[in-house]
Amino acid sequence: MDMMNRRNHIDIPEFYVGSVLAVSSSNPHAPEKVTRFVGICIQRGGCGLRAFFIIRNVVDHQGVEMFYEMYSPVIQKIEVLRLEKRLDNELLYLRDALPEYSTFPLDMEPEYLPEGSAIPVNPIKVKLKPRPWLERWERQELKGVQDLGLPKRFYERAAAVAKPWEKYDLMAEYRESIPAEEQEEIFAEVYSQLHQLEVTRKIMKRKRTFVKPKKMG
Amino acid sequence: MAGCFKMAGMRWSVVRSFQTFCISPNISESLCCLFQQVRLKHQNYPRLRNPIWFVKKERTKYEEHLTQQNKSFIRDVVHDKYGGPPAIIGGVSTYQQSPLKIQPMDRGSWFLGCRRSGLIARNIGIYPMWLKDGTRVLTTLLQVVDNHVIRYIPPEEFNPPRTSVRNPKSKRRLGCLLVGAESADPQNFTKEYCGLFKDSGVMPTKILGRFLISPEAVMQPGTPLYASHFKVGDYVDVRGKTIYRGFQGVVTRWGFKGGPASHGVTKTHRRPGNIGSGGEKARVWPGQKMPGHMGNRYRILNGLQVLRVNTKYNVIWVKGQGIPGGTNSIVYIYDTFLPLRKPKEAPHFPTYYPEDEEPLPDEIYSENLHPFTAPTIKYEENV
Repeated sequence: MDMMNRRNHIDIPEFYVGSVLAVSSSNPHAPEKVTRFVGICIQRGGCGLRAFFIIRNVVDHQGVEMFYEMYSPVIQKIEVLRLEKRLDNELLYLRDALPEYSTFPLDMEPEYLPEGSAIPVNPIKVKLKPRPWLERWERQELKGVQDLGLPKRFYERAAAVAKPWEKYDLMAEYRESIPAEEQEEIFAEVYSQLHQLEVTRKIMKRKRTFVKPKKMG
Repeated sequence: MAGCFKMAGMRWSVVRSFQTFCISPNISESLCCLFQQVRLKHQNYPRLRNPIWFVKKERTKYEEHLTQQNKSFIRDVVHDKYGGPPAIIGGVSTYQQSPLKIQPMDRGSWFLGCRRSGLIARNIGIYPMWLKDGTRVLTTLLQVVDNHVIRYIPPEEFNPPRTSVRNPKSKRRLGCLLVGAESADPQNFTKEYCGLFKDSGVMPTKILGRFLISPEAVMQPGTPLYASHFKVGDYVDVRGKTIYRGFQGVVTRWGFKGGPASHGVTKTHRRPGNIGSGGEKARVWPGQKMPGHMGNRYRILNGLQVLRVNTKYNVIWVKGQGIPGGTNSIVYIYDTFLPLRKPKEAPHFPTYYPEDEEPLPDEIYSENLHPFTAPTIKYEENV
């Protein structure tokens, strides 16, 4: 109920890891009391009121990451500038990638997709900087990274240390997720309000797309 | 069998032989005492006076082969006696008690320094909340499930074996209030346990706790206690049984640093090291921290602020995490004993009665807590 009440005041749009977001949050130390940060979402986590996402951008040749909690009352607006997915669930390797892959202009315009289309998957393969890295990327099955170009011994060690049985661990999956019966219960309670929110969001979207051509002409 | 045995093992055998000797009914009591005085120095420790509610609680279940008619008859009897089957959905009991049984007695008035009853609650989880200035704070949710006053023992009759841990010689006379939480099917309990609840007219509860109260805070047996017993902004103490961690070593249990991980260290990575100082008192001092069983003890967390109260489901949001016991454990909530955090206004005394006052709103928030129904926090321009 708390999450629904918060969603009545702020529209938290649909986005995925790899989408470019612009978040405006109130900041008592800023001159205009509002900070706006644009960047690519590299990680999403948490559950319920603790849900968070991390946004990354390169500002003045300095990589900057901002950690936001989705239900924090300090966040004023979340805009999705580019809605897309990437080949991986987490883009933490962007920290070891060349800076051009994480730079996004701070005054980027939102890009609209035609209604009802599937979310585009960006098949880009990112080039990493030379070693040392923050993590052993060769040990994680990353699809969005170019060939790492490491000596053979790294890959052999990665194969030796790998735990391929983890994907079959049903109990771990059960522990991390909510069972289907409880999901249905929760959804039944919350469905009507969520539906209303979606309808209002669609109306706002249509209004926005309608206004844009008028400005150009 | 002279009495100068020094070895403990031998003494124990003496004790056992005298015990068997004394149990036979022909020996008179005075003779038994005589033997005990002379020989059995350490017997009968600890001298307990068990409280009246120390009875066998759960009943072993047998295959009773009840017919359908029997079962429905029992259900009807329970229904007639208590007004409904025990059904706690979402932490709120659904059966209504007949109002005639609960007639409020003369209620005392609050004075500074008096003690009122507490509540028995269940820790349902930890959630983040935000204050009005944007600070994030972790809160624990404590749900007060179906609390009822069961019995009151006035200070003249109440005679516990240990009065006060802090001040054993205090002359303060406190009465004992028995409070029960989470009523359940009486068929699961023994007859003696159900007998404790006879006078209150309440279905037997799974949890029974006692609260020491001043005699002015007495309540009629059968009175329900709600989460609104505590006002938002008050400070509470929460007592719970810590999580049992089993036999733990010295590093986990007492926070010792152990030894270095490398540099040639042989088999001393998590050991206590030296346990004595040598010299004059050439022995290990009592109280030396050593490995042992950790947890499963009652511990109290003092001075937790109540940030929010939900009157529909009887949930109290308390600031802070790490309440002893973890999620889904039973805790006891009391008014603080900390002198600087005591309430300045009179609290609901002896408890919150819904029929007395106007119906409270579903959610009551503290002043500095940001309710999610309010709009986004925006800071104002200060010079």
